[in-house]
Amino acid sequence: MDLLKLFKPDDFTLLAIILGAPLAGAFFNGVFGKRVGKNGVRLISMAAMLVSFFAAVLTFFALSQHRHNVHEEFEKTGVKGGAEPVSKLAWLAWQWMSMATGQSDGRLSIDVKFSVDELSAVMMLVITGIGTLIHLYSTSYMAKDRSYHRFFAYLNLFVFSMLVLVLADNMPLLFVGWEGVGACSYLLIGFWFDKEANASAGRKAFIANRVGDVGMIGGMLVIAHYCGALDWSGIAQNVEKLVLHGGQPERIILWQREAGPFSLSPATIAALALFLGCTGKSAQIPLYVWLPDAMAGPTPVSALIHAATMVTSGLYLICRLNFLFVYSPFTMAIIACVGAATALFAATIALVQNDIKKVLAYSTVSQLGFMFLGVGVGAFNLGFFHVVTHAFFKACLFLGAGCVIHAMHARIHDDDKSQDMRFMGGLRKYMPWTFYSMGAATLAIAGMPFTSGFFSKDGILYHVFVNRVVNPVVIEPMAMMRKMEEQRQVFTGPEHDMLARRIAQYWQAPNWLGPVLFCVGILAATMTAFYMFRLLFRTFWGEFKGWKVAPEAALRANPMENLEPLVDEPEAHLDAHGAHGDDHDDHSHDDHGHDDSPGEAPAEAPWPMAIPVAILGLLALFGGFLLAEPLHIEPLGKWLEPIFGDVMQHKDVAGLLSGFVHMRAGAAALEWPLMVPGVLAFAVGSGAAYYLYVHERGIHLPGTLMDAYPGLHKAALNKWYVDEAYEATIIGGTDALADGAALMDVWVVDGIIAKLTSAVVTGIGAILRTFQTGVVHVYGAFIAVGLLGIFFFFGQPHPNVATHKEGDTFTLEAAPGLGYEYRWTIDEGAPEPAFTTGEKATTRTIQLKKGEEKYVTLEVKNAFGRTAQKIVHIANPAPPPPPSSSMKPVGVPPFKPRPKGAQ
Amino acid sequence: MMDFWLERIYFGVCAAMAIAGAIGTVAFPNPIRGAMSLLFTIVAIAGMYLQLHAPFLAAIQLIVYAGAVVVLFLFVIMLIGPAATATRDARGLLARAIGGLAASAVSLQIILVLSRKVFARVPVAQGGFGSIESIGDLLFGEYLVPFEISSFLLMIAIVGAVAVARGKQPDPQLADEGETKAPKPTAEAHP
Amino acid sequence: MNAIPIPAFLVVAGIIFGIGAFGFLVRRNVLVALMSIELMLNAINLTFVAFNRAYPHNHTGHVFAFFVIAIAAAEAAVGLALVLSFFRLRKTVRSDEGDLLKN
Repeated sequence: MDLLKLFKPDDFTLLAIILGAPLAGAFFNGVFGKRVGKNGVRLISMAAMLVSFFAAVLTFFALSQHRHNVHEEFEKTGVKGGAEPVSKLAWLAWQWMSMATGQSDGRLSIDVKFSVDELSAVMMLVITGIGTLIHLYSTSYMAKDRSYHRFFAYLNLFVFSMLVLVLADNMPLLFVGWEGVGACSYLLIGFWFDKEANASAGRKAFIANRVGDVGMIGGMLVIAHYCGALDWSGIAQNVEKLVLHGGQPERIILWQREAGPFSLSPATIAALALFLGCTGKSAQIPLYVWLPDAMAGPTPVSALIHAATMVTSGLYLICRLNFLFVYSPFTMAIIACVGAATALFAATIALVQNDIKKVLAYSTVSQLGFMFLGVGVGAFNLGFFHVVTHAFFKACLFLGAGCVIHAMHARIHDDDKSQDMRFMGGLRKYMPWTFYSMGAATLAIAGMPFTSGFFSKDGILYHVFVNRVVNPVVIEPMAMMRKMEEQRQVFTGPEHDMLARRIAQYWQAPNWLGPVLFCVGILAATMTAFYMFRLLFRTFWGEFKGWKVAPEAALRANPMENLEPLVDEPEAHLDAHGAHGDDHDDHSHDDHGHDDSPGEAPAEAPWPMAIPVAILGLLALFGGFLLAEPLHIEPLGKWLEPIFGDVMQHKDVAGLLSGFVHMRAGAAALEWPLMVPGVLAFAVGSGAAYYLYVHERGIHLPGTLMDAYPGLHKAALNKWYVDEAYEATIIGGTDALADGAALMDVWVVDGIIAKLTSAVVTGIGAILRTFQTGVVHVYGAFIAVGLLGIFFFFGQPHPNVATHKEGDTFTLEAAPGLGYEYRWTIDEGAPEPAFTTGEKATTRTIQLKKGEEKYVTLEVKNAFGRTAQKIVHIANPAPPPPPSSSMKPVGVPPFKPRPKGAQ
Repeated sequence: MMDFWLERIYFGVCAAMAIAGAIGTVAFPNPIRGAMSLLFTIVAIAGMYLQLHAPFLAAIQLIVYAGAVVVLFLFVIMLIGPAATATRDARGLLARAIGGLAASAVSLQIILVLSRKVFARVPVAQGGFGSIESIGDLLFGEYLVPFEISSFLLMIAIVGAVAVARGKQPDPQLADEGETKAPKPTAEAHP
Repeated sequence: MNAIPIPAFLVVAGIIFGIGAFGFLVRRNVLVALMSIELMLNAINLTFVAFNRAYPHNHTGHVFAFFVIAIAAAEAAVGLALVLSFFRLRKTVRSDEGDLLKN
């Protein structure tokens, strides 16, 4: 392709356009946006995104071509069985810095270098593609906002930061994007910052991410120390140094115990630290708390955060460093466990939420849990695939929810209530496009067979069941042991024991872990199906309940207690607000309006909002065929093979295992059977939702259940009180620490140190102030006095001699001065005939025997003809004297002045 | 022999003029008289420069000091007017005594140091010594950079002097606006 | 032209410097103080030229005096501008009125 002639693979400047367009858009909208008006802002931001997307597509094709070229070249010239070179398009923007590494004598260079390979190409397409759709959507959604230009400036900047994160060629640069994404999320979540809740949600997101960043930086430092590199290929080459050091296991001793030191391998520490960073960005336990609150931002922002940017960055990092993570099966197991726990935990909360965006938020947390579960068991390609499919259906759901909120808000004019599902219902009639799109996305997320969510989620669950992560270090001994057992039938003996000991040095996940996590995943999937259909049914089925909401009807203090019956028992509501006929009358209000229901009937959103939702709905339905493992349609899997292939090869080459992620025996046979629980989860979840929310008719099962277990419901509705627990423990602890520090500050620093300091300064100042009369003449007098002193000093000659001893040679050096002339007299000898100046005059060299001493007189005459003299005593101490003569003190001779005036 | 005496007389006259002028500068209560005395001193010192084989410096001394600096002093005195002659000009007796003591101590020390025999030699000056050509060669050769820098310094001094002496002028634009907003009542009072 | 020993010039310069210093220390009139500074500068110039006469193998003293004159001119200009500004502010030329820095 011509593109590769235009842009060299190692200087692929097209990346600058991908990155530069959103940045330029952000800059332009931020600086001039107010002046060019909303149309101008719309034009600029959409143009920036389209240019970026177009360039990304070109880059994708160029990469594909480049990969083909590299492959052909390798086939022609390469060594059979050798490693295929990576195909990567890189652009070095700036050689940033370079420093010595701690480990070797190599240099660690950190450049502003961007590169695109198969993994980042997919991410790049998702970010720019879905980003473009969300931008298009936002142009309409935010049309009435005062800060239109600010919104689009942030949005463009967000996309730029995420692209930096994805395209970065090394960890520090990735961290720049990582932080940029955090800052942009802060700005966008708190976009309507005049509301306290929004501003504090932004702060919460920022601070939770800060906690994760500690891990991120720590992991980076560990990698830099042990690998001596921070760019991807450098880490990949040196990754073994994180586990092995000269053939021996490398350990970091955390603390000493009686039973030997407690130690971890650097790989585990680095991977755990990086995973902490990922829990922050990708909203996993324990740092997920910011994501539900992030709903405070405008809905397109939620879509952007949840689908295209931000939360995927943690997953991206793990996929990017998959070769590092497999070196720590312990961390992998932790990741899988945390993922499963998050998936289940968030799903339980999502079951009972009433706010449509809150449900989606917890669903995101839950789905992210699935992704982590996937990568945690080594199914990197499926975990990453779930990122992509999730981007499709979650963006669709959020944008659809935005349409719904938009329509509701046009009627209710209340920010909180227009998001409350209890006031929705029956919207199917009014917003068919939105309904079909969201329905498609719901099917996908719930795991309806052959939709995108089905392939990704059930693929993950299948691998959870069958996968085993093996530390690459023990692959060889394991293979040897296996060979031994198979060929020689040796099951014990010294050799076998040695191999077993070597294997036992490294941790391996227990066998029961996979099935347990599988069960948890199935449970979470069931709940997912349930709450998603609950959302769909309550929003689009039944009667529209928004008619009965008067804008002035104040939401009571505890919405959970007071408003829940309002939906389930409409009669109660009618009693409270006066009769308006029965429910079924509501359709008639379409035409002539309603007394306490000002505003129009909910209507379909304008096309810039409806079209992205529809496109995303289609993608959600059919995107699964990018990686349909059971059907062996895997274009994405093939595409990503160079990234994950080394790690995930399940082949058994010549009796030696290769690849670090293994499958149980008979895994292939389990592929279809293991799909059954997944499909069952979908069926049970959606069926239950249908039964409870559509089919019911007077049963009021939700209400009954709620009455039966009020505490449970309340706890789930309040997110299991995690925020409160954090408030009480971590935030409270920090507060207490701050209080202690404040006391310290008030009493010790301010009370003692500051007062003492100020007293000293005041005292000295009181003395010095008397000199500062402010009258020029007094200062002049001081100058005159100083001048006198200087004149006096320079008027006198100052003979100073420095003595250097070197063996028996003494060198005397006279200090220089203004116009000095020197005359030396050595030990009563004849004085030199005249005063001399110059270099020769200032030094004299004297040889002294052991135990000898001499007096040297130096006379100095200055420029004004004054003379002064100095007598120097030099002595060469005798060698340690024999005991008989030790009575006489050596080196302290009696003072013997030289007779004066012998000129 | 005649030359010898002429020179001594010339030097004596110059020295006397210079010292008398200096005393006058410091002692006259009226600064105009002080400035005129300063002129005296400057001219006398220019005379001594001539005697020291420095005709160029003598010319510069006359042009810059007598022609510019003293005139500037006179201008400023005129600008300030009668207030330039401050009442109770001299300081108190004690301050005067201390100042006199300090000044004479400095002076004495300088004289004591300078009058030593070491400096008593007067070597024969070469032909070109102190000529305008040789100084010009130096200024535009070896000392070109300091020379240019001093021109820059002078320009900064000009700008600084203008800025400091102008003080805070009301912005004419602002004044115009103020006038348009609030027309002067006098205009109405005297149509 | 060698009739006058160099110390004679130097002594005259020293006397002028002393008078200048005295004037600067004693007089309150800012204008007179400035003139005293000019006196001191002139005295210094005289010593430069006189020393150069004593060591006539180069012209360093002359060049130095030249630069001193240039800088003295600049100093006089800025100093007088300051005097004007000071006078406008305090309506006086007495230097001890300008003691805002005190306390």
